[in-house]
Amino acid sequence: MEIQIISFGKISEFINNQNIDIDSINDTDGLKLYLEQLFPNLVGMKYKLALNKNLVQHNSEIHDRDTIAIMPPFSGG
Amino acid sequence: MDKERYQRQTILPGFGEEAQLRLSKAKVLVIGAGGLGCPALQYLVAAGVGYIGIADDDKVELSNLQRQILFGVADIGELKVNAASKRLQQMNPDVRLLLYPFSINKKNIISTLNDYDIIFDGTDNFETRYLVNDACSLLKKPLIFAAVSGYEGQLAAFNIPDDAGLTTNYRDLFPIQPKAKEIPNCAENGILGVIPGIIGTMAAGEIIKVITGIGNTLANKLLHYNLLNQQQYEINISPSDAYKPIKSEIDLMERDYNLEKIKVNGFIEIDVDAMLELNDKESSIIVDVRERHEFPKLNSNIYKQIPMSEFSDFVESDIEQTTIILLCQHGIRSVAAAELLHKKYGEAKNIYSLKGGIAKWRNHFLTT
Repeated sequence: MEIQIISFGKISEFINNQNIDIDSINDTDGLKLYLEQLFPNLVGMKYKLALNKNLVQHNSEIHDRDTIAIMPPFSGG
Repeated sequence: MDKERYQRQTILPGFGEEAQLRLSKAKVLVIGAGGLGCPALQYLVAAGVGYIGIADDDKVELSNLQRQILFGVADIGELKVNAASKRLQQMNPDVRLLLYPFSINKKNIISTLNDYDIIFDGTDNFETRYLVNDACSLLKKPLIFAAVSGYEGQLAAFNIPDDAGLTTNYRDLFPIQPKAKEIPNCAENGILGVIPGIIGTMAAGEIIKVITGIGNTLANKLLHYNLLNQQQYEINISPSDAYKPIKSEIDLMERDYNLEKIKVNGFIEIDVDAMLELNDKESSIIVDVRERHEFPKLNSNIYKQIPMSEFSDFVESDIEQTTIILLCQHGIRSVAAAELLHKKYGEAKNIYSLKGGIAKWRNHFLTT
């Protein structure tokens, strides 16, 4: 299946907005592991995922054509 | 109230004299008179919010002027709250301004927030952001949150019930406070001045909506704004169970917000990362004050062993290094050692104690 990835802030410096094919992944926990392997900069960073514009608080199923946003906290004022 | 001044907004459908009256009675606290605080203050004052508190302990610097648009060159070196108040009072003398020229901390936050209906967080560090968030959520005060990074901004409205009565706060979004070094701030990362201008102005809009009841606020939503592609992305926030909520003032007092250093009695308690960073500086020494029989043994090339039983001789001697980092098994004796050194050297030397000692940072000491 194909999902859309949208990234923000510092994370967008190493993960471009893109569509990715994920065949063996079916939930957000699996996707996190996959992304952290693909983009080691994510490891140890504080970030949150949103699935179809809803904040992911627990492992959630991912379906074809879903959109995942990856967001870091901002501190600037 | 000067009717002519507000006529352009009171003729708006859904606004009217009633909304204006609500604004004139509202009490808003703006924490941080920087890139976000300046534009928010301008519009809140212009719109006729009756009572505005401004909290900031910083002074105006030249590098602020690119985005902190209440200030000019003549204000450099002056307290931001004073410079801001001068300008704002010229704009609208009807507004009552209360100035807090100190940093908001655990001791003063509850009494400060108690005087206000709505809080705006326009600070520039996680330490204050998490403290303000937790205190607002404890007191159930509406909190408008804004933050910026590079060409992007985040905006949210916390502790405001949605139609189902549900409220969320910043910890539902990011439960664990990042360390200062983890996420770059404006000074490290850069910021285009219009970004806090846009986000701070949007925040003023949210505050006016909360006060007057017009429109829909960003309650339980996070708005992301990106200047480079003019895109907005809105996310629904739901409650998280990944953090322990603050349920009392005692909880708040017990939580550690300053993750890097806590200065008490003239020395600073630090974590192991800070210790390594300080030790990279020239003229520093790390002293292990445990007795010689204690384990684990540390590398004596890095950690000079001066047991507490012999420590007074060390204090008497002339110590050449300007930075002294003390450690022991649990970070208790090293505090006593730090106090002894501070008594002799005062502020002439930088004195640190490793908080929690070797026991807390066991993994670090066993692998190096």
